[in-house]
Amino acid sequence: MYIIIAGGGAIGFHIASLLVEEGHQVVVIESSETVLKMFRRQLDVKTIQGNAATPKILREAEADRADLVLAVTNSDETNMVTCFMAKELGAGTTAARIRNPDYSGYFVTPAKSSTTTHRVIRPKSFGIDVFINPEAEAADEITSILSGFYSTPVENFADGLVQIREFRVEGEALVDKTLGEITFPKPCVIAAIVHEGGVIAPDSDEVITEGDSIYLIASKEFMDELGKLFSQPKRPAKKVVIFGGGRIGFLTAESLQRRGVKVKVIENVLELCQEIAAKLENVEVLQGDGTDRSFLIEQGVPSADAFVATTDRDELNILCGLLAKNLGVPRSLVVINKPGYIPLAEAIGVDVAALPAILAADKITRFVLHGGAISSALLEGQQLQAIEFVTSPTAGIVNKKISEAGLPKEAIAGAIVRNSSVIIPPDDSVVKAGDHIIIVSPLPVVPAVEKLFK
Amino acid sequence: MRIKVVLHYLGLLIASIGLTMLLPLLWSFFNNGTDTSAFVISMAISLGSGLLLWRLLPVKERGMNRREAIVLVVSSYVAASLFGALPYTISGAVPGFLDAYFEAMSGYTTTGATVFTSIETQAEGILLWRSLTQWLGGMGIIMLFVALFPILGIGAAHLAEAEMPGGQQGEKLTARIRDTAKALLLIYFGMTITEFILLCIAGLPIFDAMTVTLSTTSIGGFTATNLSIGAYNSLFVEVIVIFFMIAAGVNFGLYYFLIFKRQPMRLLKNSEFKLYITLIIVVILILNLDLIINMKLPFGEALRYSSFQTASILTTTGFTTADFNAWTDFAKSLLLILMIIGASAGSTGGALKVIRLLVLAKYTYRRILLAFNPRAVIPLKIGGSVMPEGITSRIIGLAILYFVTLVGCFLIMSGLGLDNITALSSVVASLGNVGPGLGMVGPAENYAFIPPLGKGVLIFCMLAGRLELFTLLMLFTPAFWRWR
Repeated sequence: MYIIIAGGGAIGFHIASLLVEEGHQVVVIESSETVLKMFRRQLDVKTIQGNAATPKILREAEADRADLVLAVTNSDETNMVTCFMAKELGAGTTAARIRNPDYSGYFVTPAKSSTTTHRVIRPKSFGIDVFINPEAEAADEITSILSGFYSTPVENFADGLVQIREFRVEGEALVDKTLGEITFPKPCVIAAIVHEGGVIAPDSDEVITEGDSIYLIASKEFMDELGKLFSQPKRPAKKVVIFGGGRIGFLTAESLQRRGVKVKVIENVLELCQEIAAKLENVEVLQGDGTDRSFLIEQGVPSADAFVATTDRDELNILCGLLAKNLGVPRSLVVINKPGYIPLAEAIGVDVAALPAILAADKITRFVLHGGAISSALLEGQQLQAIEFVTSPTAGIVNKKISEAGLPKEAIAGAIVRNSSVIIPPDDSVVKAGDHIIIVSPLPVVPAVEKLFK
Repeated sequence: MRIKVVLHYLGLLIASIGLTMLLPLLWSFFNNGTDTSAFVISMAISLGSGLLLWRLLPVKERGMNRREAIVLVVSSYVAASLFGALPYTISGAVPGFLDAYFEAMSGYTTTGATVFTSIETQAEGILLWRSLTQWLGGMGIIMLFVALFPILGIGAAHLAEAEMPGGQQGEKLTARIRDTAKALLLIYFGMTITEFILLCIAGLPIFDAMTVTLSTTSIGGFTATNLSIGAYNSLFVEVIVIFFMIAAGVNFGLYYFLIFKRQPMRLLKNSEFKLYITLIIVVILILNLDLIINMKLPFGEALRYSSFQTASILTTTGFTTADFNAWTDFAKSLLLILMIIGASAGSTGGALKVIRLLVLAKYTYRRILLAFNPRAVIPLKIGGSVMPEGITSRIIGLAILYFVTLVGCFLIMSGLGLDNITALSSVVASLGNVGPGLGMVGPAENYAFIPPLGKGVLIFCMLAGRLELFTLLMLFTPAFWRWR
């Protein structure tokens, strides 16, 4: 695919590197030459310096033949105009990063009944097909983690019938055993083991150590039961302390309090405090420093069910997450922007809740899928991709056993969904047309997998 | 400060006041009243001096600054009362000019406190003039002035703000203040006409319907009878008057949205409106219970008295259907508190206003919360939006000033030999623009016996209350007059 990315920030870079790795042609438009130099040094992309919202630059980038235009600059308005211009020039799909919650009112898909909506503008008339709001996605992610039993993210496939979930190995029971020695109470597939930040293929003689992460594919109904093997389930959080009153903090606080969770927001900047307090009812806003131990104790942080650090500084988040853990908060979640910090955070025992950049990349990858793929998710940073395929009658895999279908050896078939029932391999059953198959594969192998479904 | 500019516009205003005397003059003329000549003379003096002032001091540049606007607003009430008092003096309705001035100020500030020892013996023209002054003062003399004369430019906004500080909470209803003034007057006028027609249907003679209407929609309280509304002894009339008193005590800006913009939810969801209505209902119930238990009144009668008196006192109208001075001490205390609370901001009513009470209550509650957790950030929200710190502190300042004025004037009145209840209630009733108080200034009494100095103090209270203190008291600060 021919893809134009406008904006070379963290998100633009992540998406670009991901798309390049999958073998797409990528053009990056950015006004800063320094940033472009960094792009050229690290990625095989074409770069254009200038303002992406101008027809001149877009024409230079050949927007007319672009399959996808991604506008991910820091300015919502620039992104909107870029998408509008690109669409006018004849681009295919357009996606814009819109972060300001004030705009979101306009950008919800129109209500079914025309009388129930007050929206003035339909997103389509802006020329924008997809909206990316990394902060909102991160907030959703945090909310769903906090209302579940485990502190790790979950991905849903086949309308939620199949889940892929990461578990941290905590119990003594499994440590130093090999995968082959574990007996699972319910059918499931181990998609990957993460040991000290590196992904290892789940061979049966692999030894598990404490602190490893395990990606499990299973039917949704058995997930909680299977999870008990690895780590202690925790009750859904009822009292949550959020540190950082930025967009992620605000959106998380909002959605948590809507679910009836008691929320305290700690923020150092008084103006931000006042803004949040004005917008949110039933949320206690406290002005103070999240690294101040006595302040946290005074405000009752030790008795909270969960602590979420959502500032835009990764170091601060990790530090505060650690402090909260030290104060005895059972769940300590942090937001991290630099993927390089993930192993660091996990090593000291704080859970990484969300990476806004990767969440955005995740959403984008769903629009560059090939073949029969209908859904996808990125796992463990950007090392693995889980893809849900629908087998078409003409696909190469049809009427073959999975083991004989010719999947690359790094790729793992996780589950087959046929007529709304979940089948977990290893199974000699034959793949039929119309089946949904969930496959986990390292990124470079993805094109080879996709070929099977063409 | 350009005194010339102020005097120029003041002249125009005095002339306008003179013109309004035409109504009682015509009434008196066609009914062969004894006071026709008094009105002719008063009108001639007002028109003459007003036009003279206007013509002699021509103003080159239009508009005025904030300070000039404040001086004009205050002096227009002083001057309007000065010329408005002429008919009372010339016709001999009152013994001295101070009494006439008291009556006129009581009219323009919509207080309704009277020095007439017997009302029914007065000439009809005089009684009509009393109610008319209240009607003119109801929406504000200046608001009327701004709506009628397109000559003020930007000064108009300063004037409106000085006369009704915080009335619309800083929100202009229309792009131009003059359009706002016109819209509000239209609502005021519509309300007046409707009540007049309804009262005529209810069987009141035209003259009585006219005086009652002019004094209801303005939240004034003057009537042409000794026993106020009680004299008509008609349930129908009382229900109409109750409805219009309560209606006139609502922020007129909300009516603007209801009528011109068709946004009824703005009225129904307004937190001040909701509290105002709740307050009225709760007080009626409490008062009702008190009248039944302690005064042994039958339920129907108790409800009739309690609802009329609650509506009248909370809106600061001052009409009466019963001598509440003879009620229990509890009922009297309750009414005294209502006199301090008053109606809604932006209405024709006076006193502290319900919204300010709400802000003060929320502010105090917030202070208590902050006392044990100083790090918590708790915004002061009214109706879902945050009250800016500036407005909150202004309201607190106003409340303090209100009570300081109350205490100071109460002391002076006591010093003049009045008993506690009379001294306190006379000040509360004047400051809140209510009218009748308790004790010797109760509903069945009048203010005639108060010594001259006391009358002066009460005149000051009425004006201060009408202009919500700041506008008047600003003039007494040296900084206001300092050269700049």
